[in-house]
Amino acid sequence: MSEWHSFLRDLLEQWPLIFAGLLQTLKLTVLVSVSGLLLGVLVFYCSVSSIKIVRTFFRGYISFFIGMPLIVLLFLMYYGLPQWGVKTSPFVIALIGFSLNVAAYNAAYLTTAYNGLDPVEIEAARAQGFSHFQIFRFVILAQVLRLSIPALTNQCINNLKDSSVAFLIQYTEFFARIQELASTNFQFFKAYVLAAIVYLAIVSVIVWIARLTERRFALNRGVM
Amino acid sequence: MTAPTALIQIQNLTKKFDEQQVLAGINLDVQEFDLKVVMGPSGCGKSTLLRCINRLVEPTSGEIKFRGQSTLAPTVDVRALRQSIGFVFQQFALYRHLSVLENVTLGLRKLRGMTALQAKEKALFELNRLDMSTHCDKYPAQLSGGQKQRVAIARSLAMDPAVVLFDEPTSALDPVMVREVAELFNRLRNEKVTMLCVTHDLTLARMIAQRVVYLEKGVVKAEDSFENLASSHPDSEVRSFFGSDSGYSKK
Repeated sequence: MSEWHSFLRDLLEQWPLIFAGLLQTLKLTVLVSVSGLLLGVLVFYCSVSSIKIVRTFFRGYISFFIGMPLIVLLFLMYYGLPQWGVKTSPFVIALIGFSLNVAAYNAAYLTTAYNGLDPVEIEAARAQGFSHFQIFRFVILAQVLRLSIPALTNQCINNLKDSSVAFLIQYTEFFARIQELASTNFQFFKAYVLAAIVYLAIVSVIVWIARLTERRFALNRGVM
Repeated sequence: MTAPTALIQIQNLTKKFDEQQVLAGINLDVQEFDLKVVMGPSGCGKSTLLRCINRLVEPTSGEIKFRGQSTLAPTVDVRALRQSIGFVFQQFALYRHLSVLENVTLGLRKLRGMTALQAKEKALFELNRLDMSTHCDKYPAQLSGGQKQRVAIARSLAMDPAVVLFDEPTSALDPVMVREVAELFNRLRNEKVTMLCVTHDLTLARMIAQRVVYLEKGVVKAEDSFENLASSHPDSEVRSFFGSDSGYSKK
């Protein structure tokens, strides 16, 4: 009982810090999910460009950032760049590093969906007289985003979970605060179970939002 | 008064894909309010010919004039050209993420700059004309082949095109639908819609065409009424092509 007592006492004591850490986690997750999606759409647009050199470059971008472990990228930026005189806050490093990485994944999901589109719909849009950009916006993007809802949701979940890596570049988010809690009373099991429950709860919220989105926007409504 | 110039004049049109000569010097006119049918064995270049007219395919040489103006000159606004030429695809090619109504309004709003309300009004008029106004909120996946085709036609007509091009309008439909499609075409012709239709469906051609153009190996081999081609054309190959229609739906 005294173990529980001390754990709860420490938890209560450190709660403001843990809560602040949780807010940092959510801030990073939401910002990265948004910027990663916007940048991902841009990378996708360029990777299906009709100009070969643009296409090749952005396909290279996708392969490069999917191939590079996130932790290496973050360490490179956080510990490597200062040697070149570039020094910013852990938050900025995390935001940029994550966005570059997440954009590559999102662009890859969108490309997969793009390959499954019916080319005749794109031809029909050309025949109607739509511009290149209008076809991308109203036919291609409108469909690949809908088709990619499950994959993009997964990526948001990964963004939440991977945000814990940011504590390794001194970004004091939720998991960093849990580490501190665990090390004050050495009750690692309880601390990490608490962390797991909190992550699970947030993931459930993301999944719930995704379901609503999918119900509203899915292709072939009324048939599935 | 000189004779009215044809709406579409195709002169000496050729198209080569790599080494393959698909069109080898096509000459063809489409007058206003025509319903002209282009026929021929598969691979004779029918679909390529159609796609050259709105420049989905770039011809290798020759000339296509639309309202007397070259469509191939470097100064031509290809998007404007396409907006005045309707195209109904073999597979209908509806945008599957949009409802029936939205399929028709998209072009009106984004290309014609109509407000949502104006576009809806125009789209409802066209859908009503094709007996599809009760299906406005459905999605393409919920429609039958014939219904999809009507929506695709409504989508074309909504843009008030000078001519509508049809690529194999019956090949994605149940054979029993031919009569319905023929009735629709004849009705549209009475409503003064200019149409050029590419098909290999003899039954359809017999039921709709005033003039049939017979294409073979990339050239126009014959142009006449269906009956004349089937019964009195000097080339026996042409006669047998058109005569092979069993006429099962003749009444």
